[in-house]
Amino acid sequence: MKNRTLIIGLGNIILSDDGAGILIAREIANRCHSLPDIDVVEASIGGIGLLELIAGYKKVILVDSIKTAEGQSGEIYRIDVEDLGDISYPCSPHFLDIRTAVELGSKFGYEMPENIEIYAIEIKENTTFSEILTPEVEKAIPVLVDRIIADHIV
Amino acid sequence: MANKITINPVTRLEGHGKIDIFLNDNGDVADAYFQVTELRGFERFCIGRPAEEMPRIVPNICGVCPTPHNMASTKALDYIYGVAPTPTAKLVRKLQYNANFIEDHYIHFFFLAGPDFVVGPDANPAERNILGVINKVGLDIGKKVIEVRKKTREIIKLVASKPAHPEGGLPGGVPRGITEEERKTIRRTADLSVEFAQFAMKLFKDTVLKNKNYLDLVLSDAYNLKTYYMALVDDTKKVNFYEGKLRVIDPSGNETAFFHPNDYADYIGEWVEPWTYIRLTHLRKIGWKGLIEGEGTSLYRVGPLARYNVCEGMATPLAQKEYEQMVETLGKPSHHTLAYHWMRLIEALQAAEDLQNIADDPLLTGKNIRNMNFQFTGKGVGCVEACRGVLIHDYETDDNGMIKKVNLIVATQHNAAPISMSVKKAAQAFIKGGEVKEGMLNMAEMAFRAYDPCLGCATHTLPGKMPLVIDIRDHEGNIIKTISR
Repeated sequence: MKNRTLIIGLGNIILSDDGAGILIAREIANRCHSLPDIDVVEASIGGIGLLELIAGYKKVILVDSIKTAEGQSGEIYRIDVEDLGDISYPCSPHFLDIRTAVELGSKFGYEMPENIEIYAIEIKENTTFSEILTPEVEKAIPVLVDRIIADHIV
Repeated sequence: MANKITINPVTRLEGHGKIDIFLNDNGDVADAYFQVTELRGFERFCIGRPAEEMPRIVPNICGVCPTPHNMASTKALDYIYGVAPTPTAKLVRKLQYNANFIEDHYIHFFFLAGPDFVVGPDANPAERNILGVINKVGLDIGKKVIEVRKKTREIIKLVASKPAHPEGGLPGGVPRGITEEERKTIRRTADLSVEFAQFAMKLFKDTVLKNKNYLDLVLSDAYNLKTYYMALVDDTKKVNFYEGKLRVIDPSGNETAFFHPNDYADYIGEWVEPWTYIRLTHLRKIGWKGLIEGEGTSLYRVGPLARYNVCEGMATPLAQKEYEQMVETLGKPSHHTLAYHWMRLIEALQAAEDLQNIADDPLLTGKNIRNMNFQFTGKGVGCVEACRGVLIHDYETDDNGMIKKVNLIVATQHNAAPISMSVKKAAQAFIKGGEVKEGMLNMAEMAFRAYDPCLGCATHTLPGKMPLVIDIRDHEGNIIKTISR
């Protein structure tokens, strides 16, 4: 197994707040590009693509957007993989969740990460095509960048 | 900061794969409506941008069909700049496109259809997923699916930079050519794909066609919908994913239209209904007749079943042989919605055989990969068969080549009304007198899944899966039951 950490920023950069994960990954890459043990990637993919991406890494940090019932836009969460619910039959293969991806990878004998941590920003707008974020989410981005760097890099 | 939260996965996902089923006074199913989230402002987002940026932007519309969007957009650019791709460029494009069909169709079959057909529609829901499929078919087959996917995606990467969201796409050509060394690798991937396609066909026949219960399900009225069909075919009316003319057949199988995609607006009407954001497509010359099936309908379907019904054969020999067996079993036209799965596998075989042909073509490694003889027109329609069906991109630019008008018609839009009707028919078999029988959810989902509909592009937003939510409403519109997994 690569003794490395992979940071994945997930999102769609042309769907307003949905691009938050990608923007966070870019900022982390800008600030930490010289660190030998950390890879930072941007991705707009679901579970099966993630499986290929994370195989072989010791630790994976996923950064994504989220919409919850009571959440306030710009709120930051740290989520465990187990919190994402049971493995289920999605209505499309493109919606395979990370938990299923990890289990599948383990079954295939791939080296799956020992540790997966997920950070998410509560978003407001992801149904209008735009490269502009809502102010609350924009403000939260540097906060989460600092938090991830403090938790995992420094 | 909260350290842990519990996520209710259905919360605030209204519109993602949502189905409303309305009951009549007797508690029987009166109507069913399939809804997706509205994504707004795409045309506004594009206006004022250089047309050449479109092939790079449009793959981001949808996490499900990025390569077809990229290709339809590139073909629209050909028309805007009045320039046809060179023969080598066309081969390279078709290389990318066939690779996309192979990887997409197999992911659908093994991840989406597999749990129903390989594990079983009545199996424990906890086992009816990809892990259950792997348990049944064996780890080696599971690994093979992943390997074929990986290698075909490497072809897309080679041509267009990124398989998830291809960046290549130039009017009159392709961004790069293919070397002799790469040709050998492509040929190996093509051979692997053909071999795997034959295995998948056998698996389908052994598990579905030889199982009377499954075959009865495929042939049952619950999964039968009589509509028109539309698909691209070549000059000999064989299935063509990349180019050709659009052919339409009626529910009895007679040709009713055969036209160049540039003329799509004369044949395809778009209709707005209050229950959906989707502009519902129908045959313009018949006019909107509502959600009805049979000879009086103006609805048509697209995708694998439509291609099966519209074509007069497959373009490659092994796929043709399989097609003939399907015709022998189901006849033509076939209105069996679950037959989408069967044709999907035949198409993956054609795409794999076509990869072999392209890999063997001496022109593939030619150096003439771009036609720069531009005759600017400012208008372009790009049409391809996406895995899920006919995809149309229609652009207009100003004199400087800046986008001023965009219209897209995507496969799920063509199929949206038929999906609602398919779910309705499946639900009718399971809801009687207001009583919802066990298994209703999966029966309705099977109808829905056959189309592999795109549900908007926010596919990755946590929790990373979009469960189908079905609201059952009484005749006054009140929700009496909500079902989701």
